[in-house]
Amino acid sequence: MRRLTWIGAGLVAAALLLLPPLSGFHPYYLYLVSTALLFGTLATAWNLLAYAGQISFGHAAFFGLGAYGAALASLGRFSPWWAIVLGGLLGAGGAGVIGLASARLQGAYLALATLAYAEIWRGIAHNWSEVSGGGAGLIGIPPLPPLPWLPLDFTRGRAGSYYLSLAFLLVVLALFAGILHSRLGLAFAAVREEEERASLLGVHPLPWKILAFALSGFFSALAGGLYVHMVRVVEPDLVFSRYFSILPLVMATFGGLHTLLGPATAALGLYLVSELLLQPYVPVFHQLPYGLALIVVVLYLPGGLAGLLPSPRPSPHRGEGR
Amino acid sequence: MSLTTLAQTLASGALLGCFYTLMALAFSMVLSVTRALNLAHGDLIILGGYLGYWFWSGSGLHPLLLVPVAGAALLPLALLWQWLFNRLPEPKELSSLVLTFGLSLLLQNIMLALWRGEYRLIASESLTGSIRLGGLRLNQGRLIVAAAALAAVGGLYLALTRTRWGRAVRATSLDREAAALLGINVDQATRTTFLLALALSGGAGVLFATLHYLYPAGGIELTLLAIVLTIWAGVGRLRSVLVAGVLLGVIEALTVAWSGPRWRELVVALLLLASLLARSGGLAGGRSH
Repeated sequence: MRRLTWIGAGLVAAALLLLPPLSGFHPYYLYLVSTALLFGTLATAWNLLAYAGQISFGHAAFFGLGAYGAALASLGRFSPWWAIVLGGLLGAGGAGVIGLASARLQGAYLALATLAYAEIWRGIAHNWSEVSGGGAGLIGIPPLPPLPWLPLDFTRGRAGSYYLSLAFLLVVLALFAGILHSRLGLAFAAVREEEERASLLGVHPLPWKILAFALSGFFSALAGGLYVHMVRVVEPDLVFSRYFSILPLVMATFGGLHTLLGPATAALGLYLVSELLLQPYVPVFHQLPYGLALIVVVLYLPGGLAGLLPSPRPSPHRGEGR
Repeated sequence: MSLTTLAQTLASGALLGCFYTLMALAFSMVLSVTRALNLAHGDLIILGGYLGYWFWSGSGLHPLLLVPVAGAALLPLALLWQWLFNRLPEPKELSSLVLTFGLSLLLQNIMLALWRGEYRLIASESLTGSIRLGGLRLNQGRLIVAAAALAAVGGLYLALTRTRWGRAVRATSLDREAAALLGINVDQATRTTFLLALALSGGAGVLFATLHYLYPAGGIELTLLAIVLTIWAGVGRLRSVLVAGVLLGVIEALTVAWSGPRWRELVVALLLLASLLARSGGLAGGRSH
């Protein structure tokens, strides 16, 4: 079964790699799938935090901080690449702050605190007009420059941001896989399983909790920075939208909490169903799949879709997986 | 700010606070009997407001007459909500948040489909004008809303403290298993709590629609307000909710008077975060669980 999963993942990756030439570099579809890939990254980043036991209702805060940070740096004459990195650091800092502040909160109350935190940043972006441009936001963000060492067709315009989003998702997935099999992953799992016991065992949960927030915030904010260089505008109600808090949560829980590929797969699936099947025919209901997926997961599939797969056989040699 | 303006602002905020009390009580009733946090609470209120607007623009009746109509219209949803909440896995606080995040999205979609994104207000002429009280001019609409909200809160208080039903509900929220062992029909108490809470939400929506413009995504702010009040007052303490509600209304009115309405949402979110951090415990803390 595990082998089948990997074959499936390989096929999906190959299809994604070949999509631009196969679609004749169709700008709309490339934009659509790039956004789906960014949501895949966001869902994976959300899942990384959930792996450390912290359920966030406010990833829009980190995404939006990355978006604003990158937009401001880009408009301030930084190269877009550095601007995105700066945005990522801003998001990591913003995430670390709420991780530290909510040190004593758990479960539902942490979730509410992150929800409020994202609303606070949206409010700041609305009101701090001198910097953020207020409700109208910022325009004129430059596009990403083509990479000189690759054929122009694959790095220019929509295809360029497409391949960048794909590469970014693959890098984040690889890092997540590395974290799962490292001491860091063990520490995160220990924090998740029981904060109290972890501290008895000599793992102080707080630094790991803050680190999980910062890492998750960093990746989310990089996605935000990439996103503003694709859409080239930034507005409070766009990038701090609850959409960016709720969607990664839906995608990760639907795809299977704590699994490596589930959240990204669910992100691609749900986003494309919503945009390709529902948006053209019943536009007002295009968010329906997310709401329904969430209800189905909570009530019927506690493990998400990954819970449908038979669990891997307990191997005689412990060491694989967790 | 002159003294009269200040007094005016305080009075107007206190009137608004009566409405907030009603809204928060409906939220904390559900929380106390099910331990579930209903993030779609504000969306239900907005839905009630839209239904009220719809009936009002069709019939031209006095908005107060439409309060029970909108309340009754949400009763089927109460049964659906109860059916869903019954199936929540542990830990209930968290799973209910996730579930109702989804329900909130669905409700917003439905409202967007039915009423587009347009802003709606029940601008009834019977609610405009103002009344002079001492040196203060009080908005008649706000007075009526506050009176209606206080009447509902008072009725709820009597029902919870003076009737068999109220005893059953309070016992269920204190300790479900013990209440069931004592022969209290906890399922019935839960169902009636949902029916009453959603009816109050629907009615509150009509009142809200006479004060504020409705838009499909406007519910979250009301939900956050209800959570802030529940943190401040504790679950199931009616008099403290009233004090907290009035305080919150006054804080909001002062914020708007000093720095303009743009800061309202930000202040609500700040209050929520600060209250959560200050309490750093469960909302239902202080009750046996």
